[in-house]
Amino acid sequence: MLTRIWLTFKQHRFETISITVVCVGLTAAALIEAFRLNSLNVPLSCLQSYQGGYPDPSQGPISAAQAHCNELAKSFSDMKGSLDMNLVQLLLLLVPLLAGIVVGAPLVAREIEQGTAPLSWALSGSRRRWLLGKVLAGVLLLASLMLAVGLAANVLEGALNPGLNPYNSFSNYLSRGVPDVFWALAAFAGTFALGTILGRTMPAVVLALVVCFFARATWDAGMTHFVLRPFAVEQDQDQQQQPGYVVYGPGGGSADMNVYYKSFIDGKEVTDAQVYDWYQQNMVCTPTPTPTPSASTSPADSSSPGASATPDNSKMGDSGIACQGPNIDPSHMPQQIPYVIPGQWYWQTVALESGLLLLGSLFCGAIAFVWVDRRRPY
Amino acid sequence: MALGGGASIGTAALVAHGLSKRFKKKVALDKVDLAIPVGSVTALVGPNGAGKTTLIRVCMAFERPNAGGVEVDGVDPWKHRSEALRRVGYVPQTPAVYRGLSVEDHLAMARSLHSGFDTDYARRRLDQLGIPLDQRADTLSGGQAAQLGLAVALGTRAKVLLLDEPLANLDPLARREFIQVLLDAVKSDGSTALLSSHIVTDVEDACDRLAILGGGKVRLDSPLKEARQTHRLTEADSPPSGASAVGSFLGRNGKTIMTLWRLAPDTDLSAGPGETSEAASLEDVVLGYLAAGRGTAGLQLN
Repeated sequence: MLTRIWLTFKQHRFETISITVVCVGLTAAALIEAFRLNSLNVPLSCLQSYQGGYPDPSQGPISAAQAHCNELAKSFSDMKGSLDMNLVQLLLLLVPLLAGIVVGAPLVAREIEQGTAPLSWALSGSRRRWLLGKVLAGVLLLASLMLAVGLAANVLEGALNPGLNPYNSFSNYLSRGVPDVFWALAAFAGTFALGTILGRTMPAVVLALVVCFFARATWDAGMTHFVLRPFAVEQDQDQQQQPGYVVYGPGGGSADMNVYYKSFIDGKEVTDAQVYDWYQQNMVCTPTPTPTPSASTSPADSSSPGASATPDNSKMGDSGIACQGPNIDPSHMPQQIPYVIPGQWYWQTVALESGLLLLGSLFCGAIAFVWVDRRRPY
Repeated sequence: MALGGGASIGTAALVAHGLSKRFKKKVALDKVDLAIPVGSVTALVGPNGAGKTTLIRVCMAFERPNAGGVEVDGVDPWKHRSEALRRVGYVPQTPAVYRGLSVEDHLAMARSLHSGFDTDYARRRLDQLGIPLDQRADTLSGGQAAQLGLAVALGTRAKVLLLDEPLANLDPLARREFIQVLLDAVKSDGSTALLSSHIVTDVEDACDRLAILGGGKVRLDSPLKEARQTHRLTEADSPPSGASAVGSFLGRNGKTIMTLWRLAPDTDLSAGPGETSEAASLEDVVLGYLAAGRGTAGLQLN
C-alpha cells in the first residue's frame, strides 16, 4: 500500500507539489501576519476603548496617553484591514476547497483520459483496492497540509482578536483549525467522485467548483437554521463582558455564534413584523441636516441584527433621517433576546460540523467506490 | 463440446459461447462462439469495427455481454472478476504508460497491484531489450512503450495473454521485436495468447491459429496451416472440384475479381493440371471471409 501511495504522489506530482507549495506558503504567510500584529503589542485596554477614530462626544479632550493608545489601536486596526491581511484571510477561506478539488479531480479521471485505467484495472483484480491506495494518498496529503494551514489560521485569529481564545470562539471558526481539514476532505471526496463518474478532469473541476462554493456559501445558514438551532441557548450577557469572550475594536463582536433571536414587547413574544409595526407606530422620523455616527458601544450589538437588548430611543435613518420615539419606558420597548451557541461549546460544535462534513465525504467516497467498480475504464 | 476449429472447452484457455454485445443499436458482437486452445497463439483478425477490441474487453470484464458469455481459463470474468483477471495478462490498444513514472515505477506499481507479479522476470525482459529502468515512460519510443506494456503483462505470469492491437502504431522493426518477445515468452511459459490485429502480415508468422471476425461474427476459426491448405483462389467463376465459394474481392492488380473457395475436407489438395485455382495466402483467406460478410456490391468493375 505504501508503494501505491508513493507512486500516486509521483503520478500526480504537479498537483502534489503545487498544493504543498501553496499550503506551506499560506501557513507561513498567516504566521508572519500574526507575528506582525502581535509585535505591535497593543494593550487590550486600547482596543477596548478605541472607537475607530470617531470622537466620543460624551468625553472631553483626550489625554496624551489616550492619544498614544488610540494611535496604537489605529495601527493595529489598519494592519488588520490591510490588503495583504485580507488576502491571507481570503486564501484561508478558499484554499481548503481548492486544494481538495485540485487533488481530487485527476485521481481517477486522468487515468481514464490518458488510457492508463485499463492497465491498472487489469493488473488489480479489485478496482476498489486500487482506488483505496489513491484515496489514501490524497487524504494523507490534504490532512497534513490542511492541519498546518488550520493551526496557522488559529494563530492568526488569536492575533487578530487579542484577548479572545480562538478555541472558545466562533469568530471565523469554519475557515481555521480542524474544520479546514474536513472542508478539504469533503471537497476532495466530492471531486474525485465527480471525476470517477464523468471520467474527465476539467468538467469535474468546474462542477466541483460550483458545488463546493455553493455548499460553503450556504453552510452557515443551513447549520444555524437546521442543525444548531435546537442547541441554541439564551445569551449570557454577563459572560459577554468577560475577557476571552469579546472581540474588541471596531467591527468586534461576541465569541458566541448567533443562531436566532426572540423579540418581546411587554413580555410577550412577537414576530419581526410586529416589532417593525411597533416602531412604525411609535417612532417619528424627521430629516436632519447632518448625520451622526451611531452611539452604540456594546460589542454584542454589531454581531447580530437583533442583538440589541435595549434599543436606543434615537435611531439613525438613511440620508440624514433621524427617528425619535416618544418618551416610552425602556421596559415597554421591544426586547430582543439572542439565542446563541456559547463560545465554550467550540469543540463540540466543531466536532459536530466536522462530523457532518466527514459523513458527506464518506457518502461521496462510497459513490465513487461503487461507480469505479461498474464503469468502463475508457 | 467442440467449438470453432475443433478445440474443445476442456482444452480451451478462452471460450466465448453465444456472446453478443450491443452498443445502443450497433451490434458489436453477434452470437460469437470461439475457443482458443491452451498453448496456442491465435491471431484475431478483422477490419476496424469488427468487434476485436470488444471481444477482448469482454474478456477483461470491461464490458458486460448482452447475451452469452466468456470464460478465461474456466472463469467467467464478469461474475468472478478478480479471479479471472489473475489469470490474464493484458496489453491495451495504445501503449498505456504513466507519463510521470519511470519504467521501474511501472514494475513497482504492477507488483503492488498484482500479488503474483514477477518483477525480476519483467526486468530481465526489459534488460534484454536495452530499455533503461530509470527512464521516464513519457520519453520512451513507441516500440519501447509497447515493450514495457508487454513486460508488465508477461510479469503477471498469466496463463492467458490478451493483446489488443499492440502492433498498430509500431514501426516494422519494433513489430518484429515485439512478436519475438511474445513468442519467446509463450514458448517458455506455455501460456496462451490472443493477438488482435487488422494487419494480416503482422501476425502471419507469429500465430499458429487464425480467427476472423467480421461484422460482429466469427467468419473463420481454424489452425493457420489448415486455413491455408483448405482455401483456393480463382479468377474464373468455375469452382475447384468439391469447393464452396466463400467471397469475392478485388485482386492485387486492381482489375480482376478474385474468388476464394473453401475445399471440402476430403478434397485432393494438389491442384490438377489445367485447373486455374491457386493457393490462397493468409491475406486472401481473410479478404475472402471479410468480403463474404460484406457482399460483392462494391466490387463491380468498369
